[in-house]
Amino acid sequence: MASEVKLPRLGQGMESGTVTKWLKNEGDAVAKGEPLYEIDTDKVTQEVESDFAGVLLKIALREGEAPVGQTIAFIGEPGEEVAAPPEPEPEPAPQPEKVSDTAVSDTPVAAPPAPATSNGRVKASPLARRLARERGIDIATLRGTGPDGRIVARDVEGAQAAPAAPAAVPSGDIESIPLTNIRKTIARRLTAAWQAPVFQLTVTADMTRANELVARARELNPDVRITVTDLLAKVCAQALMRHRDVNVQYSEDALLRFPNANIGIAVAAPQGLIVPVVRGVERLSLAEVAVARGDIVGRARDNKLTAQDLEDGTFTISNLGMFGIEQFVAVLNPPQAAILAVGATVDTPVARDGAVEIRPLLTLTLTVDHRAVDGAEGADFLRTVKTFVEDPALAL
Amino acid sequence: MPELTYREAVRDGIAQAMRADDSVFIMGEDIAEMGGSMGVTQGLLDEFGPERVRNTPISEMAIVGAGIGAAMAGMRPIVEIMYEDFLTLSLEQIVNQAAKHRYMSGGQLTVPLTIRTQGGAGWSPGAQHAQQLEAWLVHIPGLKVAYPSTPEDVRGLLWTSIHDDNPVVLFEHRLLYPVKGEVPEQLEPIPFGKARVVREGTDVTVIAIGPLVHRALDAAKQAEEDGISVEIVDPRTLQPLDEEMLVASVKKTNRAVVAHEAVTRMGFGAEVAAVLQHQAFDYLDAPIERVGAKFTPLAFAPVMEQYVVPHAEDVLAAIRRTVGK
Amino acid sequence: MAKVEREATVGEATLREFLHDMLLIRRFEERVEDRFRAGELPGFLHVAIGQEAIAVGVSRAMEEDDIFASTHRAHGHTLARGSNPRRVMAELYGKVEGVSHGYGGSMHLYDIERGNYGANAVIGGGLPAVTGAGLAFKMRNEPRVAVAFFGDGATNIGTFHESLNLAQLWRTKTVFVCENNHWAESTPGWQHSPVWNDMSKRALAFDMRSLKVDGQDVEAVYAAALEALEYARSGQGPVFLDIPTYRMHGHYIGDPQVYRSKEDREAAAFHDPIPRLRERLGLSDEEFEAFDEEAHRVVEDALEFAKNGTDPKPEDALKNVYA
Repeated sequence: MASEVKLPRLGQGMESGTVTKWLKNEGDAVAKGEPLYEIDTDKVTQEVESDFAGVLLKIALREGEAPVGQTIAFIGEPGEEVAAPPEPEPEPAPQPEKVSDTAVSDTPVAAPPAPATSNGRVKASPLARRLARERGIDIATLRGTGPDGRIVARDVEGAQAAPAAPAAVPSGDIESIPLTNIRKTIARRLTAAWQAPVFQLTVTADMTRANELVARARELNPDVRITVTDLLAKVCAQALMRHRDVNVQYSEDALLRFPNANIGIAVAAPQGLIVPVVRGVERLSLAEVAVARGDIVGRARDNKLTAQDLEDGTFTISNLGMFGIEQFVAVLNPPQAAILAVGATVDTPVARDGAVEIRPLLTLTLTVDHRAVDGAEGADFLRTVKTFVEDPALAL
Repeated sequence: MPELTYREAVRDGIAQAMRADDSVFIMGEDIAEMGGSMGVTQGLLDEFGPERVRNTPISEMAIVGAGIGAAMAGMRPIVEIMYEDFLTLSLEQIVNQAAKHRYMSGGQLTVPLTIRTQGGAGWSPGAQHAQQLEAWLVHIPGLKVAYPSTPEDVRGLLWTSIHDDNPVVLFEHRLLYPVKGEVPEQLEPIPFGKARVVREGTDVTVIAIGPLVHRALDAAKQAEEDGISVEIVDPRTLQPLDEEMLVASVKKTNRAVVAHEAVTRMGFGAEVAAVLQHQAFDYLDAPIERVGAKFTPLAFAPVMEQYVVPHAEDVLAAIRRTVGK
Repeated sequence: MAKVEREATVGEATLREFLHDMLLIRRFEERVEDRFRAGELPGFLHVAIGQEAIAVGVSRAMEEDDIFASTHRAHGHTLARGSNPRRVMAELYGKVEGVSHGYGGSMHLYDIERGNYGANAVIGGGLPAVTGAGLAFKMRNEPRVAVAFFGDGATNIGTFHESLNLAQLWRTKTVFVCENNHWAESTPGWQHSPVWNDMSKRALAFDMRSLKVDGQDVEAVYAAALEALEYARSGQGPVFLDIPTYRMHGHYIGDPQVYRSKEDREAAAFHDPIPRLRERLGLSDEEFEAFDEEAHRVVEDALEFAKNGTDPKPEDALKNVYA
């Protein structure tokens, strides 16, 4: 009898998933462990490998959402009869509401994006590529009006900063953008987080020595882009090892105190906010932290994270400094007990020994779940963080 | 400003140089009484006499070689090679001797020789009287190469060539000789390695030399009517080449066409395209176009000759391809 | 055409200087051959063994401000005109102290201060320039002469004919010295030239004055050269020196001369100009030894200097392309 391919639970809390693409066709041979289809969970899009060897006899769910456990395909010997359970009507992927056509603006018509590809490579002029790079536009989503469908500069200039919505965008009407799974998940989790009793603590740290350290580390490691975030992750990890009671996850019955500092890095990915985790930061060197961080952030932006990348975080750092934000309060990332909001480093006049000096100051705000960690503990931890930031040698 | 034809401008440049410096003299075939096969040196014999305006036998090797020797011994000779095609006969002296004496001697010598020649298609000269060979000469370290396209440029660059301590090959073109142009009252030397913006524009840069500068101007006027704004840059000297200015222009317009009368394949335009591609890679919105002669010797029959050489229409077509109109 | 017989017009002191110079060239060339075989010298080398009398005879006849251009077989001319042997050897070793600062090597020895406008690797390549220099001297009315050294092999190439033609036409102050050793690399004279045995016919074709002289007799060469130079210097026209000689070794160092008979080689050795001069001077063994030791001493000193010389920096290759 043919084996049933059922939608798997890929992570804690996963209730359903959306099949987006089959990597094999009906009639193809499949080996055990071979990638079979792609699935969009509420966190990531990933490949799912086949649990069975044989021939893909039937695809029951081509595309769309299904609950965990539902049969989506059959694999067996060629010619085998497939017990066809009544296919639950696959929920079609949410369609955008039809919006009435009005006068189309004179920007290039956004037909369904059909980027010119040759062997999977997008055809675009060097100038177009550079402009797309500078503006953060994914060139693969653009339509080329140059010869042979080549994407040229005017195509990039006409594009929006975010990838175009599938439907035509007439001017003058309100757009209704349906929530993606990821959006729904973020909404759900952060609503829960907002309901947790939290308190916030703020300190300002003098970044002089930290900046020197980062600069020197860059010199010593020319192939790795070491950033202040890496240094902060490292420093927080060291602080967490000295304040083990902050390195916890909160659950209704117990506090889970972790042996390692698994630092989550908040990333603004195109699909939404996501927090991949660098594990065991307390035992990594600064360069190693930078490499690991670069890897997960890159994969987050390319929508290539796995479920494992998102698990077991004990502490999160959210850095909005690059947007010029001086200070903010981050929302807790449950079940973690604390999250650190990092602002921009600002050259500030400070009084020192009776004179005014200009110092690079960084504002750090710690949001703490009071159910897991008390005020004094949190303050102590943050004071350690500040001390370590101002004199990184003390963290050794 | 006074006006001179290209031919008159060359003559004036030679005459002024000879008046100013006794070590300047000119030799070549039929340049004395006849005044040169293209009439460039008319009148010079009368002014300067047979010692300094020398008819030579038909001996391109010796003409150039004697020029080399006289230059090494402290003169500033100008030798005329009647047709660019005959450069081939003197190439050994130009390439193995003139270009290399300074280097091989470890810097002890200079060879301040100017070789003037003319070439190009027009009036069915046939395959052996019509070539454009600048690509060969720019490939030789030790030589300088100029190819002026206007009376002002040819006079100014000829002066600089004569007074440069390196061997210089200066290309003229037969169809340019009658072309009139304004020249400054006082001769102004033009430095090597400085291109000239012939026409300003924003959509595409046409880099052209010799007669193609003028054909590009025609093409640009037509393109203007279609809303295409064409910038034309004339490098004027091919070695040294004003890469900086060419690259800056292409970075501004994002598109390039390189045009010369010489055969396109493996020509000077290929080098310019490579330079632009390398230094302006992220600024290119279209592949670089090259305009030149088709890959054939030059046929005699006028219809065939016209078919092979590049015209304004070819430049215009190339311009259109770059902007995609 | 005039044949110049040996005349006892040169004093003994001068002849002794000739011997000194010829021995210097001989020992220098022998040592260069030896060092080349030892693998110390890069590139091609062509020694002038057997042809020293021409180098010395003509060079000594030249005036201080005369210039010359030579062939690939240039060490003899270079040394005879007074270039420092240390600097010549250093050039062969590719050192900065070399006459061409390492840029030229054996076939591109230049020494402007000694009027040496370059050896040339292209057969006949330097001839037109010598016509041109002779033209410049004439135009400026200077009492200077440009001298071209070349072999019989060069009398067939285009530049030879064009240069002689133009020189005679314009009566340039040029002397063309044909060292006819009857070999163009491996090709004997009779195989490459219809007039191989009487090169003065080449000059005749251009209506050029010529002198023939025995190339192994340095005194005769000297006298002929003086006459030729005087004539050219006066502006009356160029002169062709037809000088039969013997190439005692191969075309290049290492040439096994498979194309040459043993008799031919022995005949060449028989006509060695150095023993001839020694005999002419009537030197005893000891006296000759003294000359020879001096020659060896200078050569060894030059060798030591060259070996300890400075290698150019690799980036120096980028210099001197343009003035």
